[in-house]
Amino acid sequence: MEKPGASWLVRAALGCYPADWRRRHGHEAADLAALLIQDGTPAGSVACSYLAGAARERLVPRPGRRLSTVAYALLVAACLLSVSMGLLARTAPARAASTGHAPERAQCRPTSHELARTETSASGGLRVLVLEAGHGRGC
Amino acid sequence: MVSRPEGRAGTDVLRRVGEASVLILISLADGPKHGYALILDIKELAGVELGPGTLYGALDRLERVGLIEPLPADDRRHPYRITAPGAAALREHLDSLERVSAAGRLRLRLGGI
Repeated sequence: MEKPGASWLVRAALGCYPADWRRRHGHEAADLAALLIQDGTPAGSVACSYLAGAARERLVPRPGRRLSTVAYALLVAACLLSVSMGLLARTAPARAASTGHAPERAQCRPTSHELARTETSASGGLRVLVLEAGHGRGC
Repeated sequence: MVSRPEGRAGTDVLRRVGEASVLILISLADGPKHGYALILDIKELAGVELGPGTLYGALDRLERVGLIEPLPADDRRHPYRITAPGAAALREHLDSLERVSAAGRLRLRLGGI
């Protein structure tokens, strides 16, 4: 007896095949799967077999299939890989800098006490600026 | 790299195909069959349970090289039959297996194992 999830599993596996394969074998393959499951073959094993077949069908270059299709697929994969590597490389130093300099940044920020002192002791705005620039860092 | 001598095995076109393809050709040798019948026959013949994905992969491969051909579909099933080049290739392959098998048995006997 076919379980309710079995046909869904097999249909999903058959959906992984290229469209031209499905046009050619799709109906027969679904019928064959139903017969095998009726005979007692586990639906998972039938689906796995179809999944492996679909992977072979897509990955192995065929003489009739244009080489450019396979080449484009490899190119797209290489591009995606290099973009993600580039993003990782760009964010890694920034992340290291933000964690490494955090205490210094805290030091260079004048405390509220310093600010209060400078405000009271300063005769003008120029004095405050000089004190803040005295830390020597562009905080 | 190990190089194989191009002797008698050089003409055996089935030497590099998988076991499934050879079993399919043997099964089709006594008449056309569709997928389900092939799976049942191969199970009975060799005790090998071919997965449906493996079966269709092998059928496509054999058809592409002209060793089998599809017949008009009955209902939704496509029967396949072995072609003349397919029968010749199978005969050659079985002969080659027989030679290897005989050599193996002889060596076992000579080795006293």
